[in-house]
Amino acid sequence: MNQANDKAVAISLRNVSKSFHGVTVTDNVSFDVYQGETFVIMGCSGSGKSTLLRLMTGAIKADVGSVLIKGKDISRADPRQIDEVKKSFGMLFQYSALLDSLTVEENVALPLKEHTKLADEIIRIIVKMKLALVGLRGYESYAPSQISGGMRKRVGLARAIALDPDIVFYDEPTSGLDPVVGGVIDKLVKDLSTKLLITSVVVTHDMQSVFTIADRIAMVHKGAIVEIGTPDQIRNSANPIIQQFIHGKPTGPIDFFKEDSDIEAALGL
Amino acid sequence: MIASIGAATIEIVKGVRGVFALLADILYWICLGPFRGKAARAASIFYQMVFVGLHSVVIVFFVTFFSGVVLAMQTATQLEKMGAVIYVASLVAVSLCRELSPVFTALVVAGRVGSAFAAELGSMKVSEQIEALDTMAINPTRYLAVPRFLALLVMLPCLTILGNFSGIFGGLVVGVTSLSINSDLYIQTTYKYLELKDIYTGLIKSVVFAIIIALIGCYEGLNTKGGAEGVGKATTRAVVISFILIIIADCILTSIFYFSKV
Repeated sequence: MNQANDKAVAISLRNVSKSFHGVTVTDNVSFDVYQGETFVIMGCSGSGKSTLLRLMTGAIKADVGSVLIKGKDISRADPRQIDEVKKSFGMLFQYSALLDSLTVEENVALPLKEHTKLADEIIRIIVKMKLALVGLRGYESYAPSQISGGMRKRVGLARAIALDPDIVFYDEPTSGLDPVVGGVIDKLVKDLSTKLLITSVVVTHDMQSVFTIADRIAMVHKGAIVEIGTPDQIRNSANPIIQQFIHGKPTGPIDFFKEDSDIEAALGL
Repeated sequence: MIASIGAATIEIVKGVRGVFALLADILYWICLGPFRGKAARAASIFYQMVFVGLHSVVIVFFVTFFSGVVLAMQTATQLEKMGAVIYVASLVAVSLCRELSPVFTALVVAGRVGSAFAAELGSMKVSEQIEALDTMAINPTRYLAVPRFLALLVMLPCLTILGNFSGIFGGLVVGVTSLSINSDLYIQTTYKYLELKDIYTGLIKSVVFAIIIALIGCYEGLNTKGGAEGVGKATTRAVVISFILIIIADCILTSIFYFSKV
């Protein structure tokens, strides 16, 4: 941790809280993500990790606290500044979120067409390069509905890196994929951060993926950060929540059967 | 009971505010977008114009043609009693241009196009495509709503003009075949009593209807919640609300024209 403190900070969350309809989803969270590292946020479904990611992308505004992306508060800055910040990061969505009405090539070209004044010829070349990077050259003219889920994810990744971003957010990059394609995506994530020095923030609960790609891991439980550390630190953590999570035990401090005990209490058992 | 009335009222107020916010946003992007280098793409406006306009031609033609036919037959029976059958021509033309053609065309387009807007944007919303656009710093209103809004604003009046012609043609067919009116005389009578204001009041109506259809369709689509069921609900609501608003707006506009003697 100490050596990491020397690095430049890319993303910084300071005492961030967010609640929906009175339910606290993010509870006083603070952490820094350093430039060039792969930072993994893991936790159970419903633990608030996707909300954390959306707070960082500006899709959700924090109730309290600040979310600084490269020094700019994405939940408070004026819209034009937020747009500038958004252009400096890319995001891979859980279900790819490619535009159905556009072809693979047009999807990847979309951010380039909207935000640059490059000629169509040059955009076409850039798109080819990005698609080659994710191993999908030759699929330019396909519609998103004509290709497999794993390919869609890779197109989504090509789109996320179209503008050569400094930061890429990944929402469950390997969920719903077979182990081999999952491995391919993991390798792509790793390659992007080592070759292009991209800062990566990955939200996942795929344990194999977590320990393959992470430089640092944050465990989220009930909207709060339980622990942040390197893969080794997390693996050897004494915290029972983390041990239960990484070993997938059905019983432990993460109380999955809470509702049942409520019912028993109500029945007077 | 009171709580549910309150909740419904809050929902309606929220909806009305949301629709006006969307209108303001659309007007902002239409007026100021080009100066910020962020004008809506001509290609996507053109694409929407083809979808909204060209692909609605057949259905608009049939609906207005047959309403012209029906109108001619219904009025002929009454006018025959007074020996004034020739006035079928002017009655059909005036009532079509002022009222029936703008309203029927708008209702047909609301059913065909407004529902498609809500369904398409709604599916995009639930499959994170709207959020993806936003994350790429592409404003969804500018990218999705503005081309649809402009396309409807141009194409609905065009379809209404088409409706005027096909409705008058429907009346003509009845006049010539069953009422034995000479077709030249029929057309002459049509022109004699049809004034320019009959046509432009109809077109003003169709512009207002276009705004209603585009706004409600896009608003419902962009605010869809909850998967496939949500898309279904948004689509239904878009059509129902558009229909009601079109009829109310028609009543208000007609009374404005009536009392101001236009």
